[in-house]
Amino acid sequence: MKARTFAAFVAPSVVLMLIFIALPLISVFVQSFYSTQQVFQQISVESCTPGFTTQTCTTELRSRQVMDAAGKPMTTTSFVGLESYRQLLKPEEVSKAFAAGGGGLSALMTIDFYKALRFTLSFTLITLPLVVGLGLLIALAVNNLTKSIRGPLIFISLLPFIVTPVIGALSIRWLFIGDGILTAALRWMTGSSIAMFAQGWTIEVLMMVYRVWHVAPFAFVVFYAGLQTVDQDTLESAIVDGASRMERLRHVIIPHLMPLIVFISLIHLMDSYRVFEEVIGFSSEAHRISLQWLTFSYLMPDETGNRSISRASASSMLTMVGIVLLLIPLLMRTWRDNRVSR
Amino acid sequence: MADTKALQPPLAMKLLIGGFVALWALVAMFPLFWVAIMSFKLPVDALSSNPLNVILGPSTRANVGGLSIISLALGIAVLVAIYQVPIRHGQSFASRLAPQGRMIIGWLVFVVLYLALAGVLLFMLLPLVSSLINAILIKVPLLGLLAEPIIGVTLEHYRAVWIQHEFYRNFLNSMMITFGVVTVSLTVGTLAAYGLARTKSNLAFWLLIAALVFRALPHSVLVTGYIPVFINSREWLAPLWTFPLTGWFFQLFSANAPSLYGQPLAIIIVLVSINQPFTIWMMRSFFMNIPNELDEAARVDGCTQFGAFWRVIMPVMWPGVITTGLFSFLLAYNDYLVTALLLDAQSQTMVPAISQYLNRDTRLSDQIEAIAAAVSITAPLFLLVMVFQKQIVSGLTAGAVKG
Amino acid sequence: MIKKTIAGITLSLMMSVSAHAACSFQNTVPVKSLTAAFEAWKAVTSAMGECGNVQAELDQTFRTKQPAAFAANPSLYHLGGVANGTLVPLLNAGSIRPLDDLVAKYGKHLTPNQFIKVDGKIMAVAMMVNAQHFMFREDALKDAGIAPPKTWDEVLAAAEKLKASGKFQYPLGATMKAGFDIGQDFINMFFGYGGTFVKADSTPSVNSEAGVKTLTMMKRLTAYMDPEYLVSDSTFVQKQFQQGKIAMANLWASRAGALDDPKESQFVGKIAMAAAPLAMAGGKPATTLWWDGLVVAKNIPDAEADAAFRVAMEGIDEEMVKANNAAAVWLVKGYVPNRLAGGAIASADGGAPNYPSTTQMGIMSAAIGERVADFMTGKTTAEQTLAAIESTYTTKAKEAGLIK
Repeated sequence: MKARTFAAFVAPSVVLMLIFIALPLISVFVQSFYSTQQVFQQISVESCTPGFTTQTCTTELRSRQVMDAAGKPMTTTSFVGLESYRQLLKPEEVSKAFAAGGGGLSALMTIDFYKALRFTLSFTLITLPLVVGLGLLIALAVNNLTKSIRGPLIFISLLPFIVTPVIGALSIRWLFIGDGILTAALRWMTGSSIAMFAQGWTIEVLMMVYRVWHVAPFAFVVFYAGLQTVDQDTLESAIVDGASRMERLRHVIIPHLMPLIVFISLIHLMDSYRVFEEVIGFSSEAHRISLQWLTFSYLMPDETGNRSISRASASSMLTMVGIVLLLIPLLMRTWRDNRVSR
Repeated sequence: MADTKALQPPLAMKLLIGGFVALWALVAMFPLFWVAIMSFKLPVDALSSNPLNVILGPSTRANVGGLSIISLALGIAVLVAIYQVPIRHGQSFASRLAPQGRMIIGWLVFVVLYLALAGVLLFMLLPLVSSLINAILIKVPLLGLLAEPIIGVTLEHYRAVWIQHEFYRNFLNSMMITFGVVTVSLTVGTLAAYGLARTKSNLAFWLLIAALVFRALPHSVLVTGYIPVFINSREWLAPLWTFPLTGWFFQLFSANAPSLYGQPLAIIIVLVSINQPFTIWMMRSFFMNIPNELDEAARVDGCTQFGAFWRVIMPVMWPGVITTGLFSFLLAYNDYLVTALLLDAQSQTMVPAISQYLNRDTRLSDQIEAIAAAVSITAPLFLLVMVFQKQIVSGLTAGAVKG
Repeated sequence: MIKKTIAGITLSLMMSVSAHAACSFQNTVPVKSLTAAFEAWKAVTSAMGECGNVQAELDQTFRTKQPAAFAANPSLYHLGGVANGTLVPLLNAGSIRPLDDLVAKYGKHLTPNQFIKVDGKIMAVAMMVNAQHFMFREDALKDAGIAPPKTWDEVLAAAEKLKASGKFQYPLGATMKAGFDIGQDFINMFFGYGGTFVKADSTPSVNSEAGVKTLTMMKRLTAYMDPEYLVSDSTFVQKQFQQGKIAMANLWASRAGALDDPKESQFVGKIAMAAAPLAMAGGKPATTLWWDGLVVAKNIPDAEADAAFRVAMEGIDEEMVKANNAAAVWLVKGYVPNRLAGGAIASADGGAPNYPSTTQMGIMSAAIGERVADFMTGKTTAEQTLAAIESTYTTKAKEAGLIK
């Protein structure tokens, strides 16, 4: 294909990605070094608040925003260097935590960023093998069933995957919160008075269970598709050679599915690293927060209508560095594969 | 596939596999199934901690009414029919409806027709027929027992959600945004993927790697970048409208520079961009599976590159297009983060709107209404998978996942 | 069932037709409003809706949306429902208009104590007051031989007795959901211990004896609560009352109506209202007084503002109050204080302070809401928590430009 034709084909897509992915990325990067503040002045204000029968009026010294000619609040933007990163990472508190008598890790876990990082990483790394394993198991099992019931089973299996993540998380929550039906069942079975939303670890387990439930079907359907293309001749000659079921699985099927396992791992790492919906769905803010939720919370305006854009930008950048580091081994593999195939 | 004797598993293993699959099916279905049941009950039943009360809904039956065995049987029969039709006959209907082999149009027409028919059947014909039969049978002794309501059901929460709270607005917003995202994203993505699959340049390779990294970006990173621009867009865009050279052109669309915040069109473009990396990768691996000789032959016949792509390659690409389109659909339909932050209430889609239902929650019935809204959101997805289930598997088998 | 659906549709159609009857004029300008979603707002917005062309949005997360929506030009909403806290961001952004001339034109029936004045200009019109105050199951306390508690220490003693009686596994309820709710609980208690949050130069002073006492008391109370208290918001507590799971709680006055609603509550008339308990002897009731009211956006044409304000006045007229007397503690003429208003009035009489509408307080409340959960889960000590609140406050105040 000629370079010009190639350019014409990819141009719309590349332009979109440049404007809506690369550009925001750069702007976020730049914003993380700046801080925009409103200008306040001290003035004396008479303000009145309603009461039952009379009004209470007070005159007091108050900080009020300075408005510009157009009636908008004045702002100043200044370069703050790594200040926003410092506020996130809190290096002095970290060194204090690890100094003698600082409390070490548990003190570290009271700093939002590390709390979020810890949760995000363990969430990602624990669910990964579970998703791949469960997906593979279901695919192998369904593949061994008679054709007529495979269709309905695939349909049922796909349900957890297609359901809107927030809603999936909510429906699990409805089953467990308070005296929810499954919590009641658990209490009845164990004879204890469990409350699933009372402590951090149970919420964390629920979040992981939900994620595996939600993503394993995708892994399943991809692996199942892959199983349909296993070379029958190789399988049969393996049988002739007297290979047992396990040996066939290890030496024929798994190697055949390897590219798919890499593919699923790649997608799952990317998706579970940005865990967010679970935090909303399970309202786990008090116990567990994720990196993406942290950025989201900085972006939401607080009681004064102020968004912490600089800190949000800094946490976005750190989140991004994290995912790139996580992906490097898999990216290297994809890179090699593509080099070879070309 | 498993036609050789040796491939047949022994009985014990068969039982094990069967048990495992049955357990998985239960786990996969239960939460959605249960929530769907709750949405049809009055709060007292729905929130009861006795599972039997939730299923049978005694207080709902006493206060509102319920379904008899006959209605249940009829309902199940209709549901099975709705499930079977697209799987058995979807392909042939679609090809009959397709003008000159353009399968995609055929499928589109089929899906729209199917959804409309299923809706009419479920919500209008079924209640009418079953209430008629019940009314007749209840007079007959013994048989009358079959017509006696046994399971309490109420539609009041759905009525509240759709009519009183005007959920259809959110539904239309969702449909508009999803439709926009799927069409634009497939068009742009297919072109790019074709280009990438048919070139040997180094640039293409780096583009693909960049796309992979973009795919990994947490969406909040991007939204961080969008928010200031979206909120202040009117001021930022105003020069385009006031500058004489460009002003006349932009004023054709609107008198003033628009505020991007709350604009569905802006959201469509944003979601398309976010979705591009995945679309490109997926479509590219489909194109890689179509032999290069096919377009070379077309080129020899005098087609331009685009002509070859459009006339020769696209007709054999439709499984790939459907599979990729489905993933785009899921992304756009299910998105929470982008739509929650960049859309206001008037233009909000269903998923962020549901959090409002939860937040409105001051009465017990509000909670069940939220559940009814959640079920309403899930139902179209349910039907979609029903229709396309075979295409997903065959599409993925055809090679979408080799990359 | 189909008959009922049709009946429902016709009914709702008829309602929208006959709706105009109750409004004194026919509104032709489309008016949009964004307010909170409790009963009083449902009553006010549906009264506004009677004028026609009103699109009311009720959303408990309005406080995160309102600032951006009102700052847009043209503003995405005409009317906003605000309270002490949520007025601040709108004032700061200059996105709401002074109402003096509109009040002169359409607000003849308003009483002076409904106006929120800043710098001498009316910026908002209040319709009701609200406060978190003490509610308890009169019957259950009487059965257990407990006199209605007046201080938080007495509440603890009463909770202990009730728990021991075996009738209540968790006798106490509290709005302690992480974020705004738990922050509000802290603020109430802290004022009860006579603390001050910020100094005159906007630096924090929450790390004090009162702060430690507040946290300690909150922790002691949680021993008698459902262990899932960190997800417990006002609605959660309301349901606990309605279903008889708790016997005592400090809950918003605006929720009292729902406790007496026979369709929802199993304990109609059995839940008594009282002033918020004292935190320390000789102190004031540990709560803050709030008002709820309406503002009009600045970035809209004057004609639309005119129509919006007129509609709003229809929403808070005597007629609406008479129809919804029990829904809130109204400030509107025609309101007859009933049993349910007793708690809020007693709290005000006891000298409970107004919630301060200042930027500093907004930042402080957010900082508290973020940090207190760590104390409750035992991750930090009281002193560490208070220090963390101060440092979060300082960071945010610096970002806002309040502190240099």
